[in-house]
Amino acid sequence: MTQATTRTRTFVQALNEALDIAMARDPNVYMLGEDIGEMGGDFGVTRGLWAKYGDARVRDTPLSEAAIIGASVGSAMLGMRPVAEIMFADFIGECYDQLVNNAAKMHYMFDGQFKAPIVVRTACGGGFGGGPHHSQSVEGWFLNVPGIVLVAPSTPADAKGLLLASIENDNPVIFLEHKALYRIKGEVPEGYYTTPLRKAAVARAGSDVTVVATMKLVHEALAAAAELEKEGVSVEVIDLRTIRPYDAETVLESVRKTGRAVVANEAPKIGGLAAELSATIGEECFHDLKAPVARVAGLDTPIPFSLVLEKYILPGKEEVIAGIRSVMK
Amino acid sequence: MTLDIETLVDLYRDMWLIRAFEFGLEREFKKGNVPGMLHTGVGQEATQAALAAHLQASDAFFPDHRCHGINALAQEKHQGDGERIMAELFGRATGVCSGKGGSLHSANPKVGNFGDNAVEGSYMATVLGVALAYQMRGQPNVACCIIGDGTVGRGEFHESLNMAAIWKLPVLYACVNNGYAISMPVGKGHASADIVDLARGYGFPCEIVDGNDIEAAYDAVQRAIAHIRAGNGPYFLEFKTWRWQGLFSGEFRSPEEVKYWKEDRDPLKLAREKILAQGKLSAEDLERIEAEVKAEIEAWIDFAKASPMPDPAKATADVYVGWEVTA
Ligand SMILES: Cc1ncc(C[n+]2csc(CCOP(=O)(O)OP(=O)(O)O)c2C)c(N)n1
Ligand SMILES: [Mg+2]
Repeated sequence: MTQATTRTRTFVQALNEALDIAMARDPNVYMLGEDIGEMGGDFGVTRGLWAKYGDARVRDTPLSEAAIIGASVGSAMLGMRPVAEIMFADFIGECYDQLVNNAAKMHYMFDGQFKAPIVVRTACGGGFGGGPHHSQSVEGWFLNVPGIVLVAPSTPADAKGLLLASIENDNPVIFLEHKALYRIKGEVPEGYYTTPLRKAAVARAGSDVTVVATMKLVHEALAAAAELEKEGVSVEVIDLRTIRPYDAETVLESVRKTGRAVVANEAPKIGGLAAELSATIGEECFHDLKAPVARVAGLDTPIPFSLVLEKYILPGKEEVIAGIRSVMK
Repeated sequence: MTLDIETLVDLYRDMWLIRAFEFGLEREFKKGNVPGMLHTGVGQEATQAALAAHLQASDAFFPDHRCHGINALAQEKHQGDGERIMAELFGRATGVCSGKGGSLHSANPKVGNFGDNAVEGSYMATVLGVALAYQMRGQPNVACCIIGDGTVGRGEFHESLNMAAIWKLPVLYACVNNGYAISMPVGKGHASADIVDLARGYGFPCEIVDGNDIEAAYDAVQRAIAHIRAGNGPYFLEFKTWRWQGLFSGEFRSPEEVKYWKEDRDPLKLAREKILAQGKLSAEDLERIEAEVKAEIEAWIDFAKASPMPDPAKATADVYVGWEVTA
């Protein structure tokens, strides 16, 4: 493989490049959502694409989340490749039935006769004072739904490669974009490439403890690892990247090596990704573990508005450090 | 309008097929041979026969829980194997979804059957996408969703009609108003007992049709589909009809009401009178057709019963395209 040239790009620019490339490569790809056209979306992810591809392929919709996903699924049944934008992940309850009972089950219940290759891009996560209805992490709402794919990039390069891979994938993908990552910058390869789904990345190699994290918490975990390195603790950070179905192999291999595991997600602790990972690690690595698995997660509350309150309930670097210390004891 | 005798007799046969299918199925259901739940389309045969007559295999329809009949007709008309709908309801490997879907989730895209969704009316949203794909590709096809009067209570009703209108999508809404949603009378559950009153604000044609008059139903579907195929956008048909099936617990409607619909307004009886009035076929001719259809349905039931059950290991297939289930 020849090494492509890279440029520094924001997460938003990387996503925009992926959409542009996908639209140019395949006439079946089109986009729909609220204010994604001339305005370019609430976060600017689709900026410039309406001017380039026109009304038919960059479709502004009314506030009709169920219809957005329904239209996506119906067109995907005939081979289109819709990329829908649900402005804030918190609104996904409006189309939950469409995703869970239609998109996720279409292929199965009709015995493989239909596919629903849709991508639903949505902005999730807190930390900016968005309050209870503009800040949630929704992966747990879908973790218990066979047939759904959950993709959650943490870097601009992965955002681009994973979005292109998601658009090409034949399954319904919910593509989680953490709002705190939109403005981060990173090296992004030029042109077309895909980053494999269902494949976690070792974001940082280490030997004493494994931290499995997603999205913003990957960055918190890396910051924690840098700090603990000064104390002589070697932290391996795994960026899960695909949350469902997830890459258990990479996670378990790392935990077998380090013998200690911290799982970190921003969503509330109960019933979420951290719980699932910790159960799987417990089942598969019990005899390799030197300490019980620690979960670092949001507190079991809605997300409050005031920044001090929000900071109190959401996990960050300090909570990851505390988690690591608890398993190092 | 008066239909020519050949068309009318074909429709009569189709309606009979639906009724015989449902009665045969109900008998087997009561014997415990059919798992799950059973909703029948008896009393509503004219609507389904009219839709089946005009929809092509290259069109799409989303059937509802009372649509075994149109499913079987489409399967029979385009593929000649209506028995695979019966087998699906029996949960057999030979069913159209190999037993994974059953009564509430039978589909076959090759005959235009895009599948029921037992969360009533969810496909009011899905139908938009099928229509959108036709529109974006310049195909003159129709995407039809069959919805009950009760289903209209879903928020998707508004989202769907609105989006179909603003995008001028080729959607046929076939609303089967049989007066009730389980026990809820239509006029009590909605702001109007005429569903067209709820649909008119979206600005595309809406019609009330006598759903028990096969000629009226046939004519209305033809008109609506011609409008849609010509690129004029969506069309809403409200078929006034009545379902013979009561509640699972029994009959809840007044004896007068039951008598009126079963005796005076039976769509098969009305069709039969129309045929005989044309003076070209005798009562014996029609009885022969009825006997033929019943025998065919019994053969379908025998086929279903004789068919193998699915391989249990298939239960984990097709959760994802291209990926095995790991947990
Ligand atoms: C979203 C949803 N709500 C409730 C039900 C339970 N349910 C099944 S059929 C039915 C009544 C539907 O009434 P209508 O649409 O008029 O159809 P009909 O049975 O009269 O043909 C209900 C409430 C369901 N399947 N889906
Ligand atoms: Mg009804």
